[in-house]
Amino acid sequence: MERHTELELLVALQDLDMMIEEISEVKRLGFSSEGEQELIHARKELASRISRPLLYSYEILKKRYKRAIVIVKEDNTCLGCFIKLPTSMSAIGRTDKTVLYCEGCGRMLYWLF
Amino acid sequence: MNNDDLIYYFDEQLFLPDLKAKTKDELLNEIVDLFVAVKNLKHSDVVLEMLRQRERLGSTGIGKGIAIPHGRTTSASDITIAFGKSKEGVDYDSIDGKPVHLIFMIIAPPQDENNMYLPILGKMVEILSKSKNRNKLIESESFSEFIEVIEKG
Repeated sequence: MERHTELELLVALQDLDMMIEEISEVKRLGFSSEGEQELIHARKELASRISRPLLYSYEILKKRYKRAIVIVKEDNTCLGCFIKLPTSMSAIGRTDKTVLYCEGCGRMLYWLF
Repeated sequence: MNNDDLIYYFDEQLFLPDLKAKTKDELLNEIVDLFVAVKNLKHSDVVLEMLRQRERLGSTGIGKGIAIPHGRTTSASDITIAFGKSKEGVDYDSIDGKPVHLIFMIIAPPQDENNMYLPILGKMVEILSKSKNRNKLIESESFSEFIEVIEKG
């Protein structure tokens, strides 16, 4: 798929990171994992398309929280720290065009609905 | 995890007794479209991309006519399992080269309460490893029949 916003690239990066992180457990359940190196390569390629400051923020947040990007639910609640976000943020956040950070926990926000 | 706990993750709206897809990509699309419609999510492409990447790691077609496409995605808020059947079979690049007839798609959020995603995946593999369960699932026509197989599995 063709991605146009950095938030979408970051979301794809987090999805890949979660997959790479759980390879050994999935392998233990009997699934094949011969494409591990291919996934690691895809991760590098994806990361190279994200601006350095944003990628740096993502890596710092990942180290701190394990998951850098958190979901915002319909009622504008951050699923990382459960604070209610201002309505003014959701109008911008829902477009996926800007990376916004939670005022409570500092994680990157992703509106699902 | 026991079978009684597992059934709470299934949803009748995500029961597809007659899948139309003929290829792996069509299959993933068909189930994800339903998943997005039922869960009212806006990001089907994010889920699809994650599932396609997962297939690059290794086929989730585990043989004996079974496929369990699965993964965590930032585009999900709850663990959800969809179940579909294909009478014709789908060319899925399975480890035994045979078409798949029973498909379980497991989508999990980045963090899930009680960390249930991997135990659920493990339980599904365990249930589907028994030929009597596979045969009963093939024969199940309704959601209640399907749930009964999982419950007793």
